[in-house]
Amino acid sequence: MKALADRLEKVIHSSPYWAEARYHRRKSQLLQVQKGLVKQVKSSTNGGVGIRVLVEGAWGFSSTSDVSIKSLEKALKNAIDCAKSISALKKATVKALPSVKLAVGEFVLDGYEALEKMSLEQKLSVVLRAEAETRRRSSSVHSASCAYNEMFEDKIVVTTDGAKALSKLARNEFKISAVASDSGEMAEGRHSVGKTGAWECLFNQESMESMSEDAVKLAVDLLKAPRIPGGLSTLILSPAMVGILSHEAIGHTVEADFVLSGSVAAGKLGKKVASPLVTLFDSGVVEASKDAGGALLVDDEGVQTQATMIIKDGILNSYLHNRESAALYGVEPTGNARAWLYQDEPLIRMRNTFIAPGTQSIDEIISQTKDGYLVDCPLGGQADATGEFMFGAQKVTRIENGKLTKLYRGATISGQAFEVLSTVDAVSREFKMDLGSGYCGKGQPAKVDAGGPFLRCKAVIGGIQS
Amino acid sequence: MERLKKERQTLETAASKLLSAALKAGAEAAEVCATYGVQTKMALEKQDFHLASTDDGYNLGLRVVTGGKQGFSSTNSAEAADLKEVASKAVEILQFSPENPYVAIAPSENVSKETPGVLWDDALFDLSLQTQKDWTKVMADEGTRDPRFRLNDGAVSISAGLYLILNSHGTHKLEKETSLSWSVMGMGVDGDKITSFDYFSQLMRSAQGAPDKISTTTRKFRDFILSTLKSGPAKSYKGLVAFSPRAVLDILVSGLNGHLNGRSVAEGTSRWKIGDLGTSKFNPLFTLRDLPWFTDRFGSAFFDREGTPTADRTIIHQGRLESFFLDHYAAKALKSTSTGHALGGPTTPPSVGAHCLCVSPGDEPLVSITRKITHSQKEFLLVHRFSGQVDPITGDFSGVAKGGEWWFSGERAYFVSETLISGNIFDVLGDQLYALSKETEVVDSHGESPTLIADGVSVTAPGPKTV
Repeated sequence: MKALADRLEKVIHSSPYWAEARYHRRKSQLLQVQKGLVKQVKSSTNGGVGIRVLVEGAWGFSSTSDVSIKSLEKALKNAIDCAKSISALKKATVKALPSVKLAVGEFVLDGYEALEKMSLEQKLSVVLRAEAETRRRSSSVHSASCAYNEMFEDKIVVTTDGAKALSKLARNEFKISAVASDSGEMAEGRHSVGKTGAWECLFNQESMESMSEDAVKLAVDLLKAPRIPGGLSTLILSPAMVGILSHEAIGHTVEADFVLSGSVAAGKLGKKVASPLVTLFDSGVVEASKDAGGALLVDDEGVQTQATMIIKDGILNSYLHNRESAALYGVEPTGNARAWLYQDEPLIRMRNTFIAPGTQSIDEIISQTKDGYLVDCPLGGQADATGEFMFGAQKVTRIENGKLTKLYRGATISGQAFEVLSTVDAVSREFKMDLGSGYCGKGQPAKVDAGGPFLRCKAVIGGIQS
Repeated sequence: MERLKKERQTLETAASKLLSAALKAGAEAAEVCATYGVQTKMALEKQDFHLASTDDGYNLGLRVVTGGKQGFSSTNSAEAADLKEVASKAVEILQFSPENPYVAIAPSENVSKETPGVLWDDALFDLSLQTQKDWTKVMADEGTRDPRFRLNDGAVSISAGLYLILNSHGTHKLEKETSLSWSVMGMGVDGDKITSFDYFSQLMRSAQGAPDKISTTTRKFRDFILSTLKSGPAKSYKGLVAFSPRAVLDILVSGLNGHLNGRSVAEGTSRWKIGDLGTSKFNPLFTLRDLPWFTDRFGSAFFDREGTPTADRTIIHQGRLESFFLDHYAAKALKSTSTGHALGGPTTPPSVGAHCLCVSPGDEPLVSITRKITHSQKEFLLVHRFSGQVDPITGDFSGVAKGGEWWFSGERAYFVSETLISGNIFDVLGDQLYALSKETEVVDSHGESPTLIADGVSVTAPGPKTV
């Protein structure tokens, strides 16, 4: 790695313009078992270098899988030619990037070596056992599946203005699904976890057996569950749902590139956007959960990550920046520039997004809720520049007079992010990062995590009308 | 002069080496999927030129099979040492994989080397950076003509590539293709009013007429987005709802895919069994075909991921189930033959799915259907785009109707936001199907569909109830 970093440095310093070279090698492995049969066991390696230049105010980018000096020089020339081809047409030229303290040295997250040393046979045996146990747990289970995915990321980022960061991290995911059937009805229960670190990280909050049991119980319970009536409702969101809300509904609208396009967060810095109970972060490292699925020490522009406080006590405090947007706003970059593969240019992306915990217990919050729903088990979501969001939930439980009563089939929750956050009137002290098996899509995928406490708010549930 | 001659030689040599290395390492049979691609992209961001980029590279994926056990490994390097490592990794994986009786490498099929179409255009391959910049400027000019339209992202890309399938049973299939693709994502902003984001993408296989098409599609998209600035309130109801061609494909057709997958049928995770072929499962108005031979679509394919020839195929005919999507694995499990539906690239083993699904049109123009609806229901929602979930098992769907149109007395009145729809795809394509329009639309240069109207769908809005 060090020799390659020197080579990259030598090549970019031959450029008359600002330049950045990013080596990225990803080794990944996927194990997937369904109904007792191995569906997939695959390994793949993707590695190469992406070179980005800033020429006369315009960006050029070129990538190559060949890391020889000759190939890197060709990529640098291609990137410069690309930038020159559009520089004359660019209306708002990118001024020189601000001088900031860039990362130099080695940045390694825990667990890489331990996970790499663990054999394929050991990992596959757990996946096979988890699927078999899930299938046998109930006679109603019609089929089960289990998947394990891991990625080892090796990166080098060097820039002509001083970054020289070598980083290593390993991410892994474990997913269990059970499909139950009875009298023509079918329902699925899922449980998944995603971390940054060694194998043990996956099971330090919940054992494999417990995850399997949860998935089966949910599938079986959902078989008899009715569809939910739609309408504006009081909701208690679980940490995973709060994670989706934080990521989809708020996080995307405060990405500076979206703000510059006119997202709903534009012009709202310093203004009240949420209940005073809401404080929201996006952070490279989460102190309470250092193995969170989106953990990151250095971003793909060579900027060390930080804990960015997006909302402080209900007031919009910061956007998420790369070096270019930080220069425009006259602030420090927040370390949010991320690229999925070496072939991709870095974009502003989230890392670990969460709402800070409150003081009440979840039992207390439920007992104080007269009529509402406890919403859990997210099925993904999306948000708009308007702040309008949608997320699916697999498990929705009715709350009547302070007690959990009836389970409903999954539903979609929607609302306008800042309006919904303004309705927050209770935040629990229980906290969990719970979306580590998730990916964010924005032209390129990104591995992210999100979470938070339990939180009570008002939003629309999309359900059945009479 | 043959374009990509050197790259083709490198690709074929590397694929042959990989196949040999796998057999030498102990695999009984092996298959290599290999690609070479070169792309130049010009990207717009925030109303302006943002970035120009180039990329080229190889990808090779190896699948090995021995006695019902399978292993897979891939790399983006064509270097001999990396290929050797991939072969030994695939064989190592194979040793740990339990037996699966349906795993096999597809047999070689002696079919004509003539393909039913051409995906290559020399002029597109030879296009200069200057011309590509001029075409991108056409998009930028249209996208910035009205300040209320915010062109958040746009790109014009020129790609050329090779796709090779090689296996130890003698299959050797190579396809060359070029493409010009462009896409725009944007929204409308007028004072305090902000519309939803929307997007489109288009594909062409030749350079002819490209600037006009880029201009026309961008203008049409911009005008549509700006029309959505006219917004109003939605109401909650259960009744007739119209699904745009995009919504039909995204909600209803995509939800069927898993159940039509032959592997799901074989494994019992589909709602249908092989014996259901030939039986009526949908409304007689509904016909679905898979058409991989269109050359100007993203799903164009003359052979599949296993080298099996593709063909235009009716999947559902007037409500009757006619065919499942079968790759060699599913065909073996169902004692049938592959329908050429193995999908994927070199970084994954073959999966199963459709190439380009098209819903057949109805007989009546949309305008006369909407007039007819007015007799029973004065107001209704037309779902333009869907942001939500379709349960792959039950077919229940629930989500936000993005860019939803509120229709009143047979006319579009305004656009709505924060409006959710909920229903079940099998009910909508069954008894609840009310009508399909005569007009169809190709969505994002991929699938095609008419507008579909269904009864019994729930609409939930923050406003008052009743329609």
